[in-house]
Amino acid sequence: MQTGPLFRLESLTKRYPGVTALDDLTVAVPRGLVGLVGANGAGKTTMFRLMLGLARPSEGRLEVCGIDVAADPIEVRSRLGYMPEHECLPLDQTAADVVATFGELSGLPARDARQRASDILDLVGLDEARFRPISGFSTGMRQRTKLAQALVGDPELVLLDEPTAGLDPVGREEMLALVARLGTFGISVLMATHLLDDVQQVCDHVLMIDGGHLVVSGATESLLERTGVVTVDVGSGREALITGLAALGMTARVVDDLVDVTIDGDDDLDRVRDLVAELGLPLHRLTTRSTSLDEVFLRRAGESS
Amino acid sequence: MPGALGGGGGAVYDRGYRPYEGPRGRRGAATFALFKASVRRALGLRRSWRQKVAPFTLLAVVTMPAIVNIGVGYVTRDQLTDRIEIITYRDYVGVSSALLLFIAIVAPDVICPDRRQRVLPLMFSRPLVGIDYVAAKVGAIVAILFAFSFIPQMILFIGNMLVSDSALDYFTGHLDVLWKVPLSVLVLSVHYAVIGVAIASLTDRRIVAGASVIGLFLVTSIASGVLVGDFRPGEGSAAALINVLALPLYLRDVIFLGHIDRGSPLGGVATGGLFALVEFLAVVALGLVVLWRRYRWTEH
Repeated sequence: MQTGPLFRLESLTKRYPGVTALDDLTVAVPRGLVGLVGANGAGKTTMFRLMLGLARPSEGRLEVCGIDVAADPIEVRSRLGYMPEHECLPLDQTAADVVATFGELSGLPARDARQRASDILDLVGLDEARFRPISGFSTGMRQRTKLAQALVGDPELVLLDEPTAGLDPVGREEMLALVARLGTFGISVLMATHLLDDVQQVCDHVLMIDGGHLVVSGATESLLERTGVVTVDVGSGREALITGLAALGMTARVVDDLVDVTIDGDDDLDRVRDLVAELGLPLHRLTTRSTSLDEVFLRRAGESS
Repeated sequence: MPGALGGGGGAVYDRGYRPYEGPRGRRGAATFALFKASVRRALGLRRSWRQKVAPFTLLAVVTMPAIVNIGVGYVTRDQLTDRIEIITYRDYVGVSSALLLFIAIVAPDVICPDRRQRVLPLMFSRPLVGIDYVAAKVGAIVAILFAFSFIPQMILFIGNMLVSDSALDYFTGHLDVLWKVPLSVLVLSVHYAVIGVAIASLTDRRIVAGASVIGLFLVTSIASGVLVGDFRPGEGSAAALINVLALPLYLRDVIFLGHIDRGSPLGGVATGGLFALVEFLAVVALGLVVLWRRYRWTEH
């Protein structure tokens, strides 16, 4: 099991003529499933290029998997997998050939690369399609092939750039499930996206950047603050519950067939539970509502600008 | 998390993910892998039959003179005192214009799709740098051109040996062929491969690259022909050096004869062989600089 942070940025700055893509970023990010969040142009792709050693920092340093990228970019690349956002697959080749070739390019012997290509394509759900040319693949299948080529070299860390881009809701859920599984295999993930729901669903750590500046870095759970609202699902007993709560001096309203109750501490929570029991209503769900990552991002980005 | 599901007679296994514990190469292994993949692509291997037509037609075309030569030698082996030699080893170097067509088709096919289909970021996210990419791509084309030029020569050599009165005498009498042919074929392969790959690297459209390769060879060939004009043997002109297509043939003459053939457009030019060598080195260096700049992936 690898120890130490997944990557560490120390005063990392990247300037291009006329624009500062990343500005003085200092942060250490733990291993696991990490979301890299920011709007388009926030610096996510620049961050990936720096991590892969394909661009050099203007100032500062960057360590990935314990290795100084500037000192040994080749070693870093041999430990990383990369799934770009854009189309990047040779369309006239089969998925098996493409993934095996990229396995060899990752340094695996030919025989091992072909075996692993078969295993990984099986893992991502392309076992039956692996001998078909990629030109005939759907967007979802191409995304899976891109993920497979990133995994075939058995990386410590995979960089996923907008992995759910262009996918329909079912394809998106399947891709996110695959990404979530990577954590159980001991592979760390850095997923760049502007879809905060995706991050909230699979990532246990979030790194938010905006305009090249670090907005916030922290465990996903710690960023999701309680809102002082609980959501109660009592089926058709909504009106009875609201009336009962009003009698207790509490505010409640129906939102999407559920009852949102404003509370002030755990005592209020107990009163809601007791009232439901007193009224004989079926209690299907009683959950506290947290802020979404969207709200966190908008608020923190506003504070930092 | 490997596991098995199912009941009755069968089971569905989720093999999960297995970490790789075996050996792992670095730049050298990645470069060789890219070389192999490029050779496969150029030869149309693991691709549809249409992709195999160009390379194997070329191989057939360039091998034909050797087979005809051997066949004639075999048929007439008991009838003539002096053997009929349809083609010499020297003439056989660069004999086929099919080779030119092959370069115009294959070099762009090996280079352009990587840029057009945006595969390069994937490649350079591996333990690979720009110079490795160039080495693999140029190496693949050189290897194929060398093989396709050398194999027919070997068929010719072995065939001539077998149809001669004494195979051993033929072998010992033509030992120089064993270094002159590979050396001149290597020069020719490197020259055409570097030019073809360098031009192909400047565009992501195969048709444009192919036309540019043929255009360069034709334009320099015609321009040289016009400038040299009609000449008598031994009265050639240095303007022949403009002809990039024929440049390896001048070096071939130097390798086989020790000087430029008097019958060639460069024949009779003082130190023409040295000029040809310098130009060859300059063309190859220029091509490699172009390639290095095109694939200098890491910023500075």
